[in-house]
Amino acid sequence: MLTKKKRRSFLRDRMHEVSIALDLLNIATEQCRKSGYSKIEAINLKIGRASGIMPDALIFSFDAIKKDSLADTALLNIEEVPVSGECSDCSSKFTVDEEYILSCPVCNSNSFNIISGREMDIIDMEVS
Amino acid sequence: MKIKVVAKILEANERIAQENRRIFDDAGVFVVNLMSAPGAGKTSLLEKTLSEKTDLKIGVIEGDIAGSDDAERIGRFGVPVIQINTGGACHLDANMINEVIKELPLNELNVVFIENVGNLVCPAEFKVGEDMKVMLLSITEGHDKPLKYPLMFQESSALLLNKIDLAPYLDVDINKIKRDALSLNPNIMIFEVSCKTGEGIADWVKWLSNKTEKG
Repeated sequence: MLTKKKRRSFLRDRMHEVSIALDLLNIATEQCRKSGYSKIEAINLKIGRASGIMPDALIFSFDAIKKDSLADTALLNIEEVPVSGECSDCSSKFTVDEEYILSCPVCNSNSFNIISGREMDIIDMEVS
Repeated sequence: MKIKVVAKILEANERIAQENRRIFDDAGVFVVNLMSAPGAGKTSLLEKTLSEKTDLKIGVIEGDIAGSDDAERIGRFGVPVIQINTGGACHLDANMINEVIKELPLNELNVVFIENVGNLVCPAEFKVGEDMKVMLLSITEGHDKPLKYPLMFQESSALLLNKIDLAPYLDVDINKIKRDALSLNPNIMIFEVSCKTGEGIADWVKWLSNKTEKG
């Protein structure tokens, strides 16, 4: 046995979309209660294509954990946000089909800023 | 009735990560979140790093789905080590670190390595309170990885290409890995290392030491 070894176990969630669904459910139920409502009918989200979240997996995970909560019949509406950038050299703004940008499609520069595609945001909710 | 929320889904995690960061900063400890696919050599890299003669006083938090093999390997070096078992989760989150942070003798350390669960996707999304992320890619994994898992390459301050001693036996295009990684992240530092032969380890440790002093 190692004297300095310490061990801690967490039995919480499985794939990362489940962790994200749990955080989402916590935020949504807290906001619903705060606003004086008791039922969440829909949650509208923006999920960037470069966020690493698969919308189908997020919906699957959310459906699995929403039972017995204020959101037990709630729908997740996910707006996928494409990856877009702005070139630091030629100032072009552009949107790409991939989950990443390698260079400016206009001038080929490698110097650019990502302006969208990393979103993992709750926008609003339908409550009653 | 529609109500506005406007919240980041991961803001709870990010809040706890900031709290962890504050605890580490107060103790003057530089924190490295070490990420890679399973079997790329994270624990071997830590063993090699611990074998180098430096002024670094290192502590380690090991994240694994199950088991304590990694913590036992690190424990042989006589450094403080904590094993976290995620019980199935594919990444460490800020709260897991928060719950074990006080078990490390932070005042006796200047670097803490957090060895994440082996996975090229999720660990990049969850901040744990680190000063920097470092990613290890073994060249046996293939040259397509930067474009298949861009987020991790974008988030990392350094990329260590491990198992470089195997290059003569593989068809992998190492220049493509470097080119794509640098396109995704022009600031990423790339080291070619072998945890078997020790090649490149001294350069990595020297760079790390400089980073921790600046931090």
